[in-house]
Formats: sequence, C-alpha cells, structure tokens
Amino acid sequence: MIEGLKQALCKLPGVGPRTAQRMAFHLLERDREGARHIAEALTSALQNITNCTRCNNFSEQELCPICASARRKAEQLCVVESPADLEAIEKAGVYQGMYFVLMGRLSPLDGVGPDDLRLEQLEQRLAEGGVQELILATNLTVEGEATAHYIGELAQKRGVEVTRIAQGVPVGGELEYIDRNTLAHAISGRHKL
Amino acid sequence: MRVDREIGYILHTRNYRETSLIVEVFARRHGRLGLIAKGAKRQKSGMVGILNSFHPLLLSWSGRGELATLTNAESVSAYDRLAGDTLYCAFYLNELLMRLLHRHDAHETLFDSYQEALATLRTQGAGEPVLRIFEKRLLQELGYALVLDHDVERAQSIDPEALYQYVPERGPIQANGKQRHGIEVHGTSLLDLDREELENPRSRRETKRLMRAVLARHLGDKPLQSRLLLQQVFKLRADDLSPE
Repeated sequence: MIEGLKQALCKLPGVGPRTAQRMAFHLLERDREGARHIAEALTSALQNITNCTRCNNFSEQELCPICASARRKAEQLCVVESPADLEAIEKAGVYQGMYFVLMGRLSPLDGVGPDDLRLEQLEQRLAEGGVQELILATNLTVEGEATAHYIGELAQKRGVEVTRIAQGVPVGGELEYIDRNTLAHAISGRHKL
Repeated sequence: MRVDREIGYILHTRNYRETSLIVEVFARRHGRLGLIAKGAKRQKSGMVGILNSFHPLLLSWSGRGELATLTNAESVSAYDRLAGDTLYCAFYLNELLMRLLHRHDAHETLFDSYQEALATLRTQGAGEPVLRIFEKRLLQELGYALVLDHDVERAQSIDPEALYQYVPERGPIQANGKQRHGIEVHGTSLLDLDREELENPRSRRETKRLMRAVLARHLGDKPLQSRLLLQQVFKLRADDLSPE
C-alpha cells in the first residue's frame, strides 16, 4: 500500500521516486491530519471542478466567474495557453476583457497539432460575433509564436482584429543585463513617446 | 568532459522540473545531443531569451553520459525571428533531424545544409524547394543517398524526356509500361533534384511525392506532425467561409 502511495505521488510534476518516498513517510508519520485534508481536497476538486464551457478555464460552475461576469468587456478576447497564464494576467489587474484558454500550444515536435487544441470551440466563439479584438497572449517561445500565427490567421479570416502582446524590457530592467534577443525585440517594437 | 563555446542550434526544448529545461541540440562538431539547462527558466539565468530554436548559439556544456549539463549559451547573431509559414517549415526541418539523427553522431556537412536552409527560409520565405533539397542532403548524409543520375537497371544516364518508376530501395528504372512498385517521376524531375534546381512546377510536384515515399521508409508509421500542421494551414486558407 505504501508502494501504491509512492507511485501515486510520483504523478505530481517534478516529483521522482525519492521525493515521493519522503512525502509519503512525512504524511504517514508526522501529518496524518494534513494527509486527510489533501485526500479530501483532491476528491472534492475532482468531483466539482470542470472546465468552463466558454473559456475552458477550471471552474466549479458551467460558466467560470469571468465568463459569467457582466462587468467584463465581451468585445475583447484574450487567448492564453494555460490556466496559469490566465491567472498571471488576472493578477496584473489591467485586463477587463474575456479569455479563451487553449490548454496547450502548437508543438509539432511534441505531437501537438491544431486538432489537439480547442480551436473549434474558439472558431465557434468568433463565429457568434461580438468579439472585436482578439489578443494573442501565447508565450514568446517558438511554439507560442506558431500558435499565435495560426490563430491569428483563423481570426483574420473572420474579420476580427488581431493583436499580439508587446515584448521587451521588463519593468525595472537595466539594459546592460538584458539578453540581446529581448533587447532586439524592444528596439524593433519601440513606440512614440 | 568540458566543451566550450561550440556552435549549435536548439532543435527542441522540454520542461524539466520547476525551472529547468531539457534541450535537444544540433551542434556542428558533436551532432545531436541532449543537455539539461538547470534553472534556465529563471529570469536571472540569462538564458530565458536565448534558448530559442532556429538561431545559432555558442553552447558550453560539461558532463558525460546521455545528458550533459548546459553551462552557458550565447547568441552569435542578431535575433531574426521566423514567422508564419517559414516558422512551420523550420519546425519541419527540426522534426526531421529529431526523428532521423542519432545522438552523438557528428554531421558537419548536414549542419551547414541546415544553416543554409534556415537562411533561405529567412530570405526567400517558405517554399518547397528548400525543403526538398534539405531532405535530399539529409538522406545523403545518413547514407541513404538517392540515385538521381542513372537508370539502375540499364546503367544509362537519366533521359530528361523519359518517364521513370522510382523504386525507393533501389532507384529509378525507366517505366516502359511495366508495372512496378515505384513512384512515377519524369527524368527532368530527377535531374532537377540532382542539380538542386526546382523551379519547374512539375519537378516540384513529383519530387515531393518521391521524397515523401522515400522518407516514409525511414520514418516509420508515425506521421510527421509539422507536415500535418502545414497541411492544416493550407486547408484553413482554402476553406471558404463566405456563408449562405
């Protein structure tokens, strides 16, 4: 049974057999109450959390609080790769529009193609009308760029304005310490003062 | 073993633990190899904006065994981003290399061809000839060079006007109405591919079919995802949205 627990813990990202053993022994020896809490939280999360039917983000209701909110701007739709990215933008606190979570990115070398992302759902959302600006907030990796291009094309075909998040020097950044690629983006993407 | 500032490209990266990456590299003098980039995703590592595919890097690593540790990466040229179709094509090159190269086999000539193909994609945009030429050179480098200049059955030079059946494991054989399990291709197409000049649309069409069949023998059953992606891109463009 302990073996089973160790193997189960190995499913967590970044946890190998050694760490799993440490976690298992810790929970059984020192923190049985905590272990019970984890078990209950997991069971309840699995039972109650699904994906929002509109944006794919994790949600307890059919519609997540953002999609259900009347105060968010429905004409702006921001496309992100993962719920963690959505969370990051929400924490930034400036964006008032809606989201669409792809749950991945185009990555041919990992075997992820357009059919593995929820693009049909996105197309349907665009076809419904109402979205005036599609903000592509996929990562600035080559896979994120490929994803942005693909979705950009998809949206432009429907006459939706497409924008891409800006890239460049981080706030508080000193040029001397910034890698040359980022700096090159910052220079080419400069704007009028 | 310590290796200092070797020129190479990143073929693929995978997340590893919280902040690290496993980087698959194609280095000129070392071939394909896997490196662990510890803490590479941390802002302070200085690697965040550097470890991108399709850009030449000076890589340093140390350690032995299957996965050595990447100790430093420097960009050698100004950042020149690929976009759209050229990016999809570049993924195709990387996928071919990932699927067909073995780790730790140096392929300097192929490395130069790869570099040349990326440069062509940058200057001329996406196009089939650059992919065909790279595929041809890749097979050659791996020891599966295509026979493109003579009929393997009659030992005669290729006649540009004649029609051939290309039998993947052998080479071109003049058709003569006989049924063979080969790919139908004109003499001109074979010669164009041999000379690496694929302006003729028929040559492009035929060599595409030819290369696909020949590559399939080496790639096995798993389709190339980047090829599927390109097909889907073209389908997306062809789909008519104009309603009712």
